[in-house]
Amino acid sequence: MAKAPRLDNHPQVITANHLATGDVVYLTRVASWSRDIGEATVAPNVQAGAALLAVAQAQAKMNIVIDPYLIPVDTSVSPPRPIQFRERIRAQGPTTAGRTSDAAREDRHVSV
Amino acid sequence: MYQYDQLDQRIVEERVAQFSDQVKRRLSGELSEDEFKPLRLQNGLYLQLHAYMLRVAIPYGTLSSKQLRGLAQIACKYDRGWGHFTTRQNLQFNWIRLEQAPDALADLARVQMHAIQTSGNCIRNTTTDQFAGAAHDEIEDPRVWCEIIRQWSTFHPEFSFLPRKFKIAVTGSPNDRAAVRVHDIGLRMHRNDAGEVGFEVIVGGGLGRTPFIGKTIRDFLPKQDLLSYLEAILRVYNLFGRRDNMFKARIKILVHEIGIEAMREKVEAEFAAIRDSALRLPEETIAQIAAHFAPPPFEALPAGIAPEYAQAFRTDFDFGLWARRNTARHKQPGYAIVTISLKKEGEPPGDASAEQMQAIADIADRYSFGEIRVTHEQNLVLPHVKQADLPAVWRALKAYELATPNVGLASDIIACPGLDYCALANARSIPLAQQIARRFRNWERAHDIGELKIKISGCINACGHHHVGHIGILGVDKAGEEFYQLTLGGSADDSAALGDILGPALNQARTVDAIDTLVETYLQLRRGKERFLDTYRRVGLQPFKEAIYAAA
Repeated sequence: MAKAPRLDNHPQVITANHLATGDVVYLTRVASWSRDIGEATVAPNVQAGAALLAVAQAQAKMNIVIDPYLIPVDTSVSPPRPIQFRERIRAQGPTTAGRTSDAAREDRHVSV
Repeated sequence: MYQYDQLDQRIVEERVAQFSDQVKRRLSGELSEDEFKPLRLQNGLYLQLHAYMLRVAIPYGTLSSKQLRGLAQIACKYDRGWGHFTTRQNLQFNWIRLEQAPDALADLARVQMHAIQTSGNCIRNTTTDQFAGAAHDEIEDPRVWCEIIRQWSTFHPEFSFLPRKFKIAVTGSPNDRAAVRVHDIGLRMHRNDAGEVGFEVIVGGGLGRTPFIGKTIRDFLPKQDLLSYLEAILRVYNLFGRRDNMFKARIKILVHEIGIEAMREKVEAEFAAIRDSALRLPEETIAQIAAHFAPPPFEALPAGIAPEYAQAFRTDFDFGLWARRNTARHKQPGYAIVTISLKKEGEPPGDASAEQMQAIADIADRYSFGEIRVTHEQNLVLPHVKQADLPAVWRALKAYELATPNVGLASDIIACPGLDYCALANARSIPLAQQIARRFRNWERAHDIGELKIKISGCINACGHHHVGHIGILGVDKAGEEFYQLTLGGSADDSAALGDILGPALNQARTVDAIDTLVETYLQLRRGKERFLDTYRRVGLQPFKEAIYAAA
């Protein structure tokens, strides 16, 4: 089995869930939160991401978001694409087909 | 159906008021997330991959049309217009906002429902045969006992913090449709030599990372002793169950580690001490609860097939296809049980839109005494339909894309929410189920293949019951890629068995082809009317293994 690649040197963004709504959100350039990963502020690597994480954790303490954490992203595409499959699903919504799934994907990409 | 009394209604409403205050305090920052999380979980509110998810308890899978309409309204008002029926006979809303959750719970309370004990290390919703009260092979309606267990286990102070969660299932029929051998406690009603009805008590079954088929701890338990005996088992488990390791905390591990004989000894000793306590059920209490489950006012109809049904069966091919798979024999002459498939091609298994829920509620009112059941196979049931009404029911269901003729067939797949929704999953389940269903879309072939239970779990926790699928599929993460491990020969019915692992896991594209290959192998090997499971049990793993891996 192949080893998981080391991801610390990838660019990073901060994600969390919005406390009041539960929505998946990303920390933006103006230290606010957006549902759109395209609006996320990007740190060049995990070390640089630590400062952003401190900002995010302060906002968690202020009861705006829950459990913020860093995720590696590919910035060669726009919007940035999470490296991990799980995070891609969080960013894009369920990948399932069907009527109910279309309903599930509506309402994305709106700033909160 | 059971109707809440004043006490039931009051405790549910009080809980809504408490939770409403707790949410307010969380949003204002008075409660931290660490303080709040156990409180929200005690009210069935999880934080999943994309949003909060509210798990609503549907006691023993029985719903009135009024309750189903209530669920449809909640789906529209607080969610995105649909709900997901689960293998626990419950319903999950996937997009509930925390700030609106108390209102959703208040609306649930208005239709005598709640989300209490749908999470946490307590006794969860008791599940049963979806054909209860209707099945031709039933000894007694198991819902009477499920309701007694519900009342005993709700807010039971001694069992609110067990080593781990606890699930009880009851069957009133020798043909087990409730998977009682893979629950923490399974209760199977049967008659003893004297002709009295009581319970075989099975303990220590379960799926998850360490699956076990339950073992019989008592062959025959008189009905009035049910709660004393359950309390004795729970007490032994509470005392001796492991709390040092979450993965070894279920009762199945205790039973496995100390052995069924030692377990029986401890339980019987406790039972002897409490048998004649207040837990002994008086006849009048049993009769009061049973009265709630009195049969509906059936019409006296002649035995045999109703002429309207026979005529439609002969003349309408599509109706015949549906009736063959989606109806079952009723105990009352002239009636039938209808299973509504929630496995339409292209839709996630178990999903129903609010519009569909409303339609089903209307159809139930018109044709099934306003009653609906949820199956652990993620379908719905109209338990009491007149045979003569079957063509009309079929047409009404068809208008809402609810007449897929595939109950028990390859496309009637159990699938957990998987990585598309669940925070615990390693791989997706629903898209795989959708691809497999597409592969078996040809009804002629699907009906020729016959009964085939495919069950998919997106992680080892086994919410999709993969261990007991005729073909089980377990999603695993291999270096960031989704792979699927196949098991064969599992079964959840009265011949319960855990599946055997076929071989190394396959990627998603190969998995769909592999299912096809397994089915083709079965078709070549089957004799007479053998189902997939029968052929597998006769020939074993080897021919299937060779068919999948020989070319590799």
